[in-house]
Amino acid sequence: MKKIRYIAGTVIILVFLTIGFFSFIDSKVEYANFSYASNTHRKCQVKGTWLKDKETRYDAANNQFIFHMRDENNHEMKVILDGAEPNNFRMAESIVAKGKVKGDHFHATEVLTKCPSKYEGDSEDLKKSNL
Amino acid sequence: MGPILIHIAFAACIISSLFYWISATGRKNMLKISRPAYIVMAVFTISSASFLLYNILTHQFQYTYIWNHSSTKEPLNLLIATFYAGQEGSFHLWALWMSIIGIFLMSYTSKHERYEAEVMGTFTLLQAFILFILIVKSPYTYVWESFAGDVAEGFIPPEGRGLNPLLQNFWMTIHPPILFVGFSAMSVPFCFAVAALIKNKYDRWVNIALPWTLFAAGVLGLGIMLGGYWAYGVLGWGGYWAWDPVENSSLVPWITSIAAIHLMISSRVTKGFIKSTLFLCIISYVLVLYSTFLTRSGVLGDASVHSFVDPGQEVYLFLIIFLSLFAVVGIGLIIFRFKSINSEISSLKQESSPILSRESALFIGAITLCASALVVLAGTSWPIFAKGSVEADFYNKMNLPIAILISFINGASILLKWKHTEEKNFMKSLVVPFVLASVLTGLFAFMGMRDFLIALLALSALFAFFINAETAYVISRRSKIKTGAYLAHIGFAVLLLGVIGSSRYSQEENLSLPIGQTVEALGYRMTYLGATPIPDDPEKYHFNVKVERDGKEMMLKPVMYYSDYSEGVMKNPDIVNLIVRDLYLSPMALEVPEEFSAEDVDSIVKGSVKNIKGLDIHFVNFNMDEFKRDELSSGAAQTIGADLEINENGVRTPVTVKIRYSGDGVPEFIPVKYKDNIELYLVKISVSQEPQIQLAVVDRTRKMNSPDAITSETLILTASVKPLINLVWGGTVIIVIGFALSVINRVKKSKAAASDEEV
Repeated sequence: MKKIRYIAGTVIILVFLTIGFFSFIDSKVEYANFSYASNTHRKCQVKGTWLKDKETRYDAANNQFIFHMRDENNHEMKVILDGAEPNNFRMAESIVAKGKVKGDHFHATEVLTKCPSKYEGDSEDLKKSNL
Repeated sequence: MGPILIHIAFAACIISSLFYWISATGRKNMLKISRPAYIVMAVFTISSASFLLYNILTHQFQYTYIWNHSSTKEPLNLLIATFYAGQEGSFHLWALWMSIIGIFLMSYTSKHERYEAEVMGTFTLLQAFILFILIVKSPYTYVWESFAGDVAEGFIPPEGRGLNPLLQNFWMTIHPPILFVGFSAMSVPFCFAVAALIKNKYDRWVNIALPWTLFAAGVLGLGIMLGGYWAYGVLGWGGYWAWDPVENSSLVPWITSIAAIHLMISSRVTKGFIKSTLFLCIISYVLVLYSTFLTRSGVLGDASVHSFVDPGQEVYLFLIIFLSLFAVVGIGLIIFRFKSINSEISSLKQESSPILSRESALFIGAITLCASALVVLAGTSWPIFAKGSVEADFYNKMNLPIAILISFINGASILLKWKHTEEKNFMKSLVVPFVLASVLTGLFAFMGMRDFLIALLALSALFAFFINAETAYVISRRSKIKTGAYLAHIGFAVLLLGVIGSSRYSQEENLSLPIGQTVEALGYRMTYLGATPIPDDPEKYHFNVKVERDGKEMMLKPVMYYSDYSEGVMKNPDIVNLIVRDLYLSPMALEVPEEFSAEDVDSIVKGSVKNIKGLDIHFVNFNMDEFKRDELSSGAAQTIGADLEINENGVRTPVTVKIRYSGDGVPEFIPVKYKDNIELYLVKISVSQEPQIQLAVVDRTRKMNSPDAITSETLILTASVKPLINLVWGGTVIIVIGFALSVINRVKKSKAAASDEEV
């Protein structure tokens, strides 16, 4: 009878591994640059930097945040994010946008901001406090 | 002084460990050295923590850590929170909790003397590693050491950088400490498992380790849910669980520890499941370390909202060594003892268990829990192995069938008896709870629950709820304290129902609320009444929204403010708890009417006339009446003007437009009215080459009529209704109470067992 228990256990694990594998393939988001993202229908995440000098605004009517971003291959693209400006957006050293390319822009569902230099102060900050 | 305290604690820890292991070889008198050495370690760790806290409270900014994470402006509770706001401090908090838990563990194991040497020997090794991290990455580094060459030795910054505004709230003061108690306590089952393996005795360790495992899992679970409440109530993430890597990584060891607890209970009765129990106790702590590695090393830098970034190569490497060492030792020991465990099982067990028995159900339940842990672990670890990440939906999809299965198994296992169950009786006992659950689920379906799997989850949760509630009721008449397990199960079922309501049936809408105008959404009438500064904190603003429904009126005050630290707008939601649902207002932005847009701006050269919007505008000369040349270098505000003459159908009107520059050079545009509908702004002056001005001419009548223009201050927010969210919090509270009762109950039992031993 002990065997039945182990078999039942193994079957459960196997079933979940199989379902897991397929739904995993389905929901994984690949790293990409804008040119790759333009050629795929899959959701991608693109890392890059915010272009301060280009149009950056919040579109209240559609609750979208619009900005321009340069990816790691120096390609620039307009990004439209569903929602407001993310926390720490302006201080971010780099940003990661998740979404799909739609026509002339990258439609993002999520934008992560990375702010390494600011969570830890640097010598510039220290000198400022010296004034 | 700080580093000295830590060094002594570390040395004492090593000595304690060494002599514990010597005493494990049978030389019991060595406990006379190892125990006091432990106390020395604990005293010095606590002293160092007090010293660090003292330095934080007295603003000793010469320490990089304190300068980095606090400032003189912070209130007491946030200053205390500074202690663990960064890497170094949070490891110190961990070391502090370890040293305190160890005191209890030492006193506890000394009553079960056969285990003290091995358990404490392992425990002190774990503590030594954490203390070593504190030596490598010390919270006591001076600023002139961190920034050698940039500042002179002995320099004390007058002010610190302050705590990250995201962390500045009440939950920061309680969530991390509780989570770290859970992390620290999870080391205890690991130590017991290792001790059992080294002693090669598997009959009693489960009884002794069980209350500790219950404690660790209970506290860790509470810590995780407090984090969830923080995200929901303050950070405005909209939900309590986002499947963020940081959340996931602490959830995984919690799940495995729950599986461990169930197998331990099973193992205690049947004397089986020894290897699986040992494995789960070991892996739970390894996963705690793995969680630390994921969140501290920065490997998930691009996948998580709140990973710590770049802790330095040495800590990264060290965490990997720490982690793999304990994993290899723990799992290696199980493999090494494989044969002798098998022979122990065959000698202890009289018969193997049939499939229709509580132990079989618990085993399958534990496996299902492990499947869930594996899913979350795989998804969370994915970014390490490949560039990319996994969508939150993956976890929802995968865990939904698992949760259904677990709830059914949970309900059924309570009705099953240990070792042998009459099939007929079992089937009979299923009927009532199943019918009750089906009726209620049918009602839900009638009310609009159309998704089959969701309905199945509701059915299974209700099924588990009724069975546990009945059992809890029956048992509570004999002994209230013994209802812990059933209470925890009830709490979990309630939590699941709350999850269904608040996530599957939550409604959300983006709203624009022009000031003073009532907007209807989600069954509520909402009116934005304007912003007011928060009394205690005038740099932050309440955005007052009057909410009405069924004649009742409420005022919600979501918060937005500009943070210099983050160089951006910070937002906090406001929530009204309406018992069966929450109304959640998450502010997005405040739109104020634009003074003028780029297309309104024209340039005019000095002395010339230009026709703008039907007006002939003559730029006569600059007007320097208010310009203070002698204050030019002092950084005072300056105002510059331009004299114009407007010719409309032969009628000439002189007008002076002005622009004001603040000391920092930020322009302030001053509207000048011409007739009722025209506003003029001086936008820019340039005197190089051809002297000219940039002038904005705004026709307000035309502006009003254009569709996109915002004519009054407008609050943009996301409103959502979260049904049954109180069940999530209520379920959590019930689970925690259940755990607390179970711990008390098990401690009593193990005390009774200890006194049996002495007899």
